[in-house]
Amino acid sequence: MTQTASTTGQAQALNEVALAGQERREQWTLLGLSTPAILVIAIVVLVPVGWLFYLSFVGSDGEFSLEHYKKMIEYKSYARVFMTTFQVSLLTTLICILLGYPLAYFLAHLPGRWTGLFMLAVLLPFWTSLLVRTYAWLVLLQRKGLLNDLAMQIGLWDSPIKLVHNMTGTLIGMAHIMLPFLVLPLYGAMKKIEPDMMHAASNLGASPIRSFWNVYFPLSVSGLVAGALIVFVLCLGFYVTPAVLGGGRVVMVATQITAILEYRFDWGAASALGVVLLIATIGVLYLAGRFFKFDSALFGKG
Amino acid sequence: MDNTTALPISIRSLTKKYGDLFALKAVDLEIRSGEFLTLLGPSGSGKTTLLMAIAGFNHPDSGSIRFGDAEMVLTPPHKRDVGMVFQSYALFPHMSVAENVGFPLKLRGMAVTERKARVEEALDTVQLSGLGKRGIDQLSGGQRQRVALARAFVFRPRILLMDEPLSALDKKLREQMQIELKHIHRQLGVTTVYVTHDQREALTMSDRIAVINHGELAQVDTPEAIYNKPANEFVADFIGESTMLQLTQDSAGRLTFGDSVVASEAPDPSHKDWSLVIRPERLRVLAKDASAGDRHVIFSGTVTDAVFQGETAFALVKLTGGSTLVVRFGTGAVSEGSRLEAGQSVSVGLIRDDLILIPSDSAQ
Amino acid sequence: MKKRTGKGAVCGLMIGAAVALMMSGTAYADPITVVSWGGTYGAAQDKALFNDASKNTGIEINRESGASMSKACLQVESKAVTWDLVVTGSGGAAAAAAKGCLEKIDFNVVDVSDFYPNTYTDYCVGSDVFSTVMAWNTEKYGAPGSPGAPKSWADFWDVEKFPGTRSYRANSVDGVLEPALMADGVPADKVYEVLSTREGMERAINKIRELKPHIAVFWESGAMQAQLMKDAEVDMITGWNGRFDNAKKDGALVGYTFNQALLDYDCFAMPKGAPNKDTAMKFLAEVSKPQYQANLPYHITYGPTNKKAYEVTTAPKELIEALPSHPKNVPFMLPVSLDWYAKHRAEAQELYMELLTQ
Repeated sequence: MTQTASTTGQAQALNEVALAGQERREQWTLLGLSTPAILVIAIVVLVPVGWLFYLSFVGSDGEFSLEHYKKMIEYKSYARVFMTTFQVSLLTTLICILLGYPLAYFLAHLPGRWTGLFMLAVLLPFWTSLLVRTYAWLVLLQRKGLLNDLAMQIGLWDSPIKLVHNMTGTLIGMAHIMLPFLVLPLYGAMKKIEPDMMHAASNLGASPIRSFWNVYFPLSVSGLVAGALIVFVLCLGFYVTPAVLGGGRVVMVATQITAILEYRFDWGAASALGVVLLIATIGVLYLAGRFFKFDSALFGKG
Repeated sequence: MDNTTALPISIRSLTKKYGDLFALKAVDLEIRSGEFLTLLGPSGSGKTTLLMAIAGFNHPDSGSIRFGDAEMVLTPPHKRDVGMVFQSYALFPHMSVAENVGFPLKLRGMAVTERKARVEEALDTVQLSGLGKRGIDQLSGGQRQRVALARAFVFRPRILLMDEPLSALDKKLREQMQIELKHIHRQLGVTTVYVTHDQREALTMSDRIAVINHGELAQVDTPEAIYNKPANEFVADFIGESTMLQLTQDSAGRLTFGDSVVASEAPDPSHKDWSLVIRPERLRVLAKDASAGDRHVIFSGTVTDAVFQGETAFALVKLTGGSTLVVRFGTGAVSEGSRLEAGQSVSVGLIRDDLILIPSDSAQ
Repeated sequence: MKKRTGKGAVCGLMIGAAVALMMSGTAYADPITVVSWGGTYGAAQDKALFNDASKNTGIEINRESGASMSKACLQVESKAVTWDLVVTGSGGAAAAAAKGCLEKIDFNVVDVSDFYPNTYTDYCVGSDVFSTVMAWNTEKYGAPGSPGAPKSWADFWDVEKFPGTRSYRANSVDGVLEPALMADGVPADKVYEVLSTREGMERAINKIRELKPHIAVFWESGAMQAQLMKDAEVDMITGWNGRFDNAKKDGALVGYTFNQALLDYDCFAMPKGAPNKDTAMKFLAEVSKPQYQANLPYHITYGPTNKKAYEVTTAPKELIEALPSHPKNVPFMLPVSLDWYAKHRAEAQELYMELLTQ
């Protein structure tokens, strides 16, 4: 190489060509190493989603058709199911924020030796079956459940209150299941806020409340947004909890899809619902992304 | 920054315990109006605890902290009106430079135009004019340090606290900033309490140094006094290089080390045991045949190591008695033939007027 | 798990399919894969039908749970059929047949000459007869037949005479519209005639809308029917008679009436391209014989589809007379019209979902 360089070009520096070649080879090697991952993503994500799109445009006669989408416009139930889905997801997210923010704050400010214990308590639900947790709520909340029994015994109310088989029960169950998904990223963000930040704020003259809103909250908001988005998106596709605790009154998209598959074997109709949910979800995430940027700019001006 | 009135700080028997451990043990400290006082001590000595107590970030168990005539020990930090520069700078990453500096002014309800002018003035003082719109993540370490400083004094506090503000900077920048801080202090005239574990920094910057150890003040004095007249072994050892020789008192009441008579009598009769503190740069290598005179206390020994370090060099001299002295000397003297080599026998002398004697027992 | 629900079956099914794949290679004639529902229903079939039939014919079977026509169709459409015989509700079988997912039954092999009429089709052979009944909390409204106890769908709708909460079916229109029309005064034999128009369907839907404020829970499965009555969560409910008998055995205060109930049947169907079609057909012929069906009542209160089973059974009289297909009970009931479901189910389903999501 040295010889080539010295004989061919006076403009070439020592080993320039060889070193450039080595760099290119390294880049190709890196690309080669990531190929399996890219392939897996293609197979696991793109192919099924593509198939879903394809199926949603196949009519009952096997030909290309928009019948599934037409039906979604024709019958109001579909729009209502989407409304319910977004309503439940949004409310669950809000409840999780209201409960999760103080909880994450509490966890982030515990002395070290307690953090593990309380974290375990927060994560414990992750290790029990979703179905078990959901049915546990049913046992607690139903007409002759523990909560109603207890409340009536101590005289809080006289006749059973309807706590489950409706929106209330669904939201209670969903919030319980989703809470860790909000708390974990939020806890992470809060842990990253140095205690000095709050010291600095109060040192500069901010009351505890102002310190919180002007400094702490803006610094934790990235974790909050991340957690809220995870919760919201998970809620959109949730099946078990609304099915068990909603008493058939809270019909979400996943419920509808299951019903279509179970009772009508209609892959096309089910796929069409899936496609619309997917697009709606992407739309919401896109808007959230834009809103968040807008938001952070707002906080920056604070 | 004219209309700033500095305030004295008066600390009385301030005590803070963590479990069974005293972080502060009945500390009494008078900080004069407008002075630059450094709290110096090893890590865990209590210096940061003391600073945090002044700022109001921790609750002492007992004691009093007064700013001027006002008792502050129960006042929450946001009402103490002291500026503080944090070790981590604690700049708000979601705010620009100007927003960081303007934050305390905004909290004080200052109008936008006045605020802008004050922020610009403060940035000017720390030589960051025109960088107000930058984000914190676009600044170098030194620039962040300056922003933190500007934010701490922009609201004209009458007390300024600094917690090892330069420790994250590299050596050259640190030395430059030391001078600059001192300059700004003079300009602002504000009472400044500075925490560091770096004795050189403390010596460079301070009007007075409070050496603190195990939650107690070991000595509070000017840098010169702290260096030249350490009050106890801890200060002598902690400040500057030193070799400590344990002296014995003979029947005639003289303090001796081996064959050398160090002093004809103890400076304070209430103490029996005395140590001689020897600063390496105060030792002179004497001609081999130099005899003991009135001017010098002379020690004889053998050079075990000789190390050249540029502007200075040092040698380790093993004394006949077994102790090892460090002798430091300027390398300008090389041409005069004072170069030492390992194995060489030497006599080193210490001028009697420079003797630092400190009692090594408790008073009787 | 029973009837056309079976949604928790999803996982079981995947595992089942995998197991079936692994096992498809045993010596001797290939074993056939028979898929039923879990719980008491499948256990009853094992004890009454499958074990003995397997022994007597020498046909080995793989028993799996999680039967579902939608899964069967998925196997057929993806040309990876591992199931030979699948239990299904009659409506599910009809829908699957309409989608072309099922093999035709070879009636030269399977003898249905002694079956009740309308308990088999070209694509499925009835395994048992059940009934969608009206059930209630006996503590609240009295034992069936006692004075003051509810007797008809009109009573189910009458929230003044029978104040309390109701439970109705969720997500599926099967067995949903008929009771509403009968409650609205349509005689049983005219129900499907009325329902065959959009107006008729809307009439039924409106009747349910009237009751909706009192429907505390919509049930999704047989298990849920039983649980709701055991927990006394609702006072009156629709559901499958066998489930309520089992709940009663577990101590639930529940009773039901066959009056105006919907007579329906479960059946065996064969996915198109079943790997062991001929052997499976022989096995189907065997389990359809009366001597096997005669044992079913001992394990679950669903009636035989083969009339002869009533002649050969040794079960006690009270048990026999409590079966939905017993000649004494049949006249009170309305047989479900598969024909109507084939023609109108899709539309009715959409209309019912409109109501449910309101």
